[in-house]
Amino acid sequence: MQVFFALIADTFQEARARWLFWGLFSLSTLLILLFLFVLQVDVAAGAISALGVQSTVRRIYSIQRFVDLSYSWVCVGLYVFGTFLAILASAGLIPSVLEPGRISLLLSKPIGRTTLLLGRYFGNLLIVVLNTIYIVSGVWLIFAVKTNIRDYRFLLAIPIMIFVFAVLLCVVVFVGVISESAALSVMVPVAISLISGLLAQHQFMIKVLSSEWSRRVWLGLYWIVPKVFDLGKALHYWILLDRETDWVTPIWTSAAFGLVVLISSIVIFRKRDF
Amino acid sequence: MTIDYAIETDGLEKTYRTRFGGREVKAVACLTLRVPVGVKYGLLGPNGAGKTTFVKMLLSAVHPSAGSAKLFGQDARLPESRRPIGYLPENHRFPTYLTGAGMLDFYGALSGLPSSERHKRIPGLLKLVGLSDWGPVRIKKYSKGMLQRLGLAQALLHHPKLLILDEPTDGVDPSGRREIHAILNRLTSKGVTVFINSHLLSEVESFCEYVAIMRKGKLALEGKMSELLAGTGYTVNASHLSVDSLNEIRAAGAIIVHASNGVAIQSPDNDHANLVMDKIRAAGGSIESFTPSGASLEDLFLEATAERGD
Repeated sequence: MQVFFALIADTFQEARARWLFWGLFSLSTLLILLFLFVLQVDVAAGAISALGVQSTVRRIYSIQRFVDLSYSWVCVGLYVFGTFLAILASAGLIPSVLEPGRISLLLSKPIGRTTLLLGRYFGNLLIVVLNTIYIVSGVWLIFAVKTNIRDYRFLLAIPIMIFVFAVLLCVVVFVGVISESAALSVMVPVAISLISGLLAQHQFMIKVLSSEWSRRVWLGLYWIVPKVFDLGKALHYWILLDRETDWVTPIWTSAAFGLVVLISSIVIFRKRDF
Repeated sequence: MTIDYAIETDGLEKTYRTRFGGREVKAVACLTLRVPVGVKYGLLGPNGAGKTTFVKMLLSAVHPSAGSAKLFGQDARLPESRRPIGYLPENHRFPTYLTGAGMLDFYGALSGLPSSERHKRIPGLLKLVGLSDWGPVRIKKYSKGMLQRLGLAQALLHHPKLLILDEPTDGVDPSGRREIHAILNRLTSKGVTVFINSHLLSEVESFCEYVAIMRKGKLALEGKMSELLAGTGYTVNASHLSVDSLNEIRAAGAIIVHASNGVAIQSPDNDHANLVMDKIRAAGGSIESFTPSGASLEDLFLEATAERGD
């Protein structure tokens, strides 16, 4: 366990020294301050004057609706940009540890390669977990104080964002282990996120695709690729409309994808010569 | 059970395959080597001889294509076999975001040393390698020689029984080299095995008790330094010999080289050297010295690594 914690602490120290840690927290703080500034325009009062005063019931409904709308769009913004920033910040942390002269010394220690890779993975994940908790709860707190409406559904963004990042981090690790390229470690998970948006249109695509095999390929890819788009959409609608959503399917398929990719990374890492 | 060897390899091989085309390159070929416990062992070889690949196979950074390697009798593939090993790699890249003391703490933790012991050992080790004032300074401020000293401290931190050092004095000034050798000598007197991979022949010749020379992935020469350097012949230095007596000695099969204070007569063996000395005395000459004629490590190295068209 001492070795595992040492590897996590080292990842933290490296992120801090490379200004990734401070960069993420500074951007998050900036975003929170921006919300604080924007909400100086009193949302509740602003909404009341903007929507007009028809009746008390309608006013309350409208303010609630306005806040829900704000919550859901802010949530989408955080989900997209937060995940992208987290991937950007994490991309270099695997290739850096594989540099010749550094990896050979690490491998000379009495630790398994799986422990080494997982220590790095969880260290990276922990940085993003802390940042996600900080930014989402910060924004939620500002909303809650300014509008007096405490919508706890917004806080669901924390586990969902962490989950999606954890899955995409598996891809970052995989690409890092194979290519040792930080740039490619950003490009691939971002591409997967974009592709997941396209694949999510499977109901429409099945109708327009002409051949059976192409429909199967589309559906097959939809099930394989992590459901970054689906989870973001589900989060958005759940906050906005309080609509019951199927969380289980996108979560387990994405988790299975992440697990397979992470195990593959470990297998390749264990077999590689350095 | 007594363990005789710190390092033991049997038919160790590493073949690299090019990515496209599948061409094979044999970096290490069927290498069998035994390094006894508690000795100072030097591994030499020209560039590309396979020395670094061999060391990396011992540390499981490179997987062997065939054969086996053991460290103190344990399979080298097991992480646990590396617990008694202290390693200083060539071209090391220590994390520059750490301080010297922080770096020692990190690698000490990875070596399984408890936190309390790390805190006790680190100041002493920094002092030992002459970096006691540099502990709280970030590594990126260190010179090459200081990094090398820090690397040595890192290798010594967890009381290793075997030190594997890749070019340990690279970038270190002469006085620093002497200090490093003194540290290593103290360790070997306590039973630590030192395995040095170096291209500095003089360093290996003066420091190591055993030497192995690799060529094209194979072991070209191996043995005890004193025996390898001893040679088989003898040299008799003599003076006050007439030309006739020199011709007589030459006729007996000796090689005569003119030296500043007379001649150096080379004999192939002990009996012949005694015959030569009898002849010198009979001719009224004077024997100045009698020494076994030895080769230098450089001679051995050049001979062992010479191209033979294979």
